[in-house]
Amino acid sequence: MGASGLALRGLYRVLRANVLSFVGFVLVVAIVLVALLVTLAPHLLVPYGSTQETGAYSAPPSLAHWPPSYAHPFGTDGASLDLYSEILLALPLDLGIALLIAGVALVGGGILGLVAGFYDRPGTIGGWTSAVILRTTDVFLAFPSLLLGLAIVAALGPGLWQVMLAVLVTWWPYYVRLVRGEVLAVKHLPYVTAARAAGVPERRILVRHVLRNILDPIVVYFTLDVGTVLVTFSTIAFVIPGVVSYPRPPEWGSMLSFFNLNYPISQYWWEVAFPSAAIFVTALAFSLLGDGLRDVLDPRTRRALVESVAAPRSGTEGPEEGGTSVPNTTPTMDRSEGP
Amino acid sequence: MSEPILSVEHLSVDYRAPSGTVRAVDDVSLTIPSGRVVGIVGETGCGKSTLAQAIPRLLPEPPARIAGGKIVFRGTDLVGLPARRLPLVRGTGIGMIFQEPLNSLNPAVRVYDQIAEAVLIRRWREAGVLPSFRGGAEPFDYSHRPLPEPSAVLSRPITPGASAMESARRRLPGRRDVREEVLEFLRLVRIQDPETILDRYPHELSGGMRQRIMIAMALSERPSLLIADEPTSALDVTIQAQVLTLMKELIDEVQASILFISHDFGVIAEIADDLGVMYAGRLVELGPVAEVFRSPRHPYTKHLLRAIPERYKSDGPLAAIPGAVPNLAHPPPGCRFHPRCTMAQAVCRTDPAPAFRPVAAPASGGAHSSACHFAEEVATLP
Repeated sequence: MGASGLALRGLYRVLRANVLSFVGFVLVVAIVLVALLVTLAPHLLVPYGSTQETGAYSAPPSLAHWPPSYAHPFGTDGASLDLYSEILLALPLDLGIALLIAGVALVGGGILGLVAGFYDRPGTIGGWTSAVILRTTDVFLAFPSLLLGLAIVAALGPGLWQVMLAVLVTWWPYYVRLVRGEVLAVKHLPYVTAARAAGVPERRILVRHVLRNILDPIVVYFTLDVGTVLVTFSTIAFVIPGVVSYPRPPEWGSMLSFFNLNYPISQYWWEVAFPSAAIFVTALAFSLLGDGLRDVLDPRTRRALVESVAAPRSGTEGPEEGGTSVPNTTPTMDRSEGP
Repeated sequence: MSEPILSVEHLSVDYRAPSGTVRAVDDVSLTIPSGRVVGIVGETGCGKSTLAQAIPRLLPEPPARIAGGKIVFRGTDLVGLPARRLPLVRGTGIGMIFQEPLNSLNPAVRVYDQIAEAVLIRRWREAGVLPSFRGGAEPFDYSHRPLPEPSAVLSRPITPGASAMESARRRLPGRRDVREEVLEFLRLVRIQDPETILDRYPHELSGGMRQRIMIAMALSERPSLLIADEPTSALDVTIQAQVLTLMKELIDEVQASILFISHDFGVIAEIADDLGVMYAGRLVELGPVAEVFRSPRHPYTKHLLRAIPERYKSDGPLAAIPGAVPNLAHPPPGCRFHPRCTMAQAVCRTDPAPAFRPVAAPASGGAHSSACHFAEEVATLP
């Protein structure tokens, strides 16, 4: 389709115009590719494979806590596992968890937010539904999300799915609020009235005239959010030792937790530095990409940016001014920070 | 004499605010006969836009509320219609052109898709894919069209000699020939090379262009009644003249019934057949344009007409009406114009307000009505 092709070209041009978002874009693409490769063909990337290597647990203690070397670029841990392999093996899981939680929160919370924002006429069925949705989100938003998540994990008991559920439960209300706010800002604009005057059915107005105009800030927020989910999930896995059983499945937060509990960090710095760096780089990549997307998704800034890039460049190779001059329009919400 | 397309009977619209209820439209009655253009003039805040939006029931309710009266559109009272059925009347029944072409087009949708949506809604309704007023229990039988269909003339100037097969094919739902129809409507509103703007977003077009697209959208649903709510007010004077010329030509071509809201007597004089004058929520005078201009029957109309700047007049200040528009939250008793009226007498200050009554049946056809106790004496006003 020509339109999507144009959008992709526009995406590339705009991202190229802003060095930071370009870095974010490249990182996200690389991370996703690596995650796919690790899942589909681990032997290509992972030097010390996982599944057939159950014997690794009984590896001689002499292999434990090796500092980074040629054979083990990130060193080895106390269980004699190669950290480089472990971090790579954990990538699909951590990335998948982040995308899944943010995605379910986006779709679920988004639908609730659309309903709560659009059908809010008091005294109607929609008005009541809207009130119930909003008061429920208020209850969830009253607690700091990390604390609530920890409490839920404590109640549900250890396990990967329990932690995911806990994060999800604390996560969806933000999307309800975000989407509802955007709907309220848009639903009384003249073009929505004009669509109504043209006889467009209400549901079609909601999707085509309201949702379509609020999609951009939501997509941007989602992209930024993937990193935040990752950090929150890792934080819970870090704070509650053993909530995700170490070392299988491999997970960055539980790696940190394991080392933190059992060994002096100053002595084996690589065992903390590399998993932390993995979390940091992944979260940062999505953050940078989100900022870049904000510029791309607004047709006005997109055209301006594409033109500014298409214009003959002056001798310097510095970033184009247009890429960074767009004001921050995405609502941000306070979230507790990671480890 | 066929039944009028629209008859508004004693319509009142309230706005509820925390500070109290404001009656923005008070006891307004008017009819729009088939194929006639009715213009409404009035000052800012006199309720003319509220009236325009109340007719297709577009006002957000609450805060607005229809306090009384009837809006009879092709035999159906829209006031009594449940909210879920209202969309069926809009678009193909009552089309609308808005005041703000800058904001009335969806910024995320390309020009082609905006107009195609309108075209498709009409086609789907005609083909029965989308519900419309159809069937015995329905208030309006769309299929058998009891009234002469003035908007059927719409496509004539641009599709000369379209065969019966062609028009039958057009009625089929589908996207196949939507593009051609969209282009036709863009040409109808005098856009040269319409192909070049199909892929544009609204913000890439000028204000005049956007208003033309709005007009094309409204016309492409072939409405029985078109409501134009100050379509030229937001445009600058040159573009205003262009759009006005366009609308005048279109009115001749389309032969639609139109309710044209404006604050500009010149615009109304150019376009309308009948002229209504609103003041502080009330319709104070209604009659054929020439008749109202020649012999106004309400002092307010007379004063307004006198306040129109004459082109070559250079001596002295412009004529103005003394006083200010009343606050609609606390309107004066009796005739609302009496505090500013030079003819006011004791009877004007007492309730009830002067009735809206026919004052003369001029030869040109159509009654001339006024809401003034002294309608007959207005002519003597200096």
